[in-house]
Amino acid sequence: MREFTVTSTLDTSGKCCPMPIVETGKAMKAMATGEILEIIATDKGTQKDIPSWCERTGQTLLSMTEENGVFHYHVRKDR
Amino acid sequence: MKSMAIVIREDAYDKLLTPLVFAYLASAEQTQVDMLFVNWAVKALTVEGAANLRMDGRHAADEPRVREAVAKAGLPNDVYEILKALKATGCVNMYACSLAGAIFGVDEGNLIPEAEGIVGASWFLNEKAAKADHCQYF
Repeated sequence: MREFTVTSTLDTSGKCCPMPIVETGKAMKAMATGEILEIIATDKGTQKDIPSWCERTGQTLLSMTEENGVFHYHVRKDR
Repeated sequence: MKSMAIVIREDAYDKLLTPLVFAYLASAEQTQVDMLFVNWAVKALTVEGAANLRMDGRHAADEPRVREAVAKAGLPNDVYEILKALKATGCVNMYACSLAGAIFGVDEGNLIPEAEGIVGASWFLNEKAAKADHCQYF
């Protein structure tokens, strides 16, 4: 069971680099500190890209799961 | 990484994609990106030039498939649309090399409005490339 509430969801299914990262950056800009973005992706590159992007931009990756080739990320906006 | 400079020489559609994608990625983490278009690539900073970019040589026949795959990936498959998207990030500046402009026919009259202007390569190399955290050449 999740210990957080998703504020908004970004579905990038079918899209490839750079769009999941570009769209995540845009979505985060529109959010307030403390809010949580759920990102859905099918691009395997996001497995490295999303955690790395979070680290460099000061956001917190709360969870990362994969099921049948679909990745779900939960990112909290911290700055 | 706070800043990145990119020098682009190649004007083939497929070869131009990589530096444009790298700039787009960098902008997603608020990295300041300065791009200098030199040689034939300067033509990409005109509406007509961007529209006429093609894939060269042994890859030429693959262009329709590549454009379709680019669109499927979520990017505009038109280079001018990508340049507009880069400009809209607020993090990417695009410059035309003055020598390239003179040789390949790009001036203030046909330069796209998304470009910052026509500059000397010396200025770019000293003020942008040498001062950037990272510099790439394509």
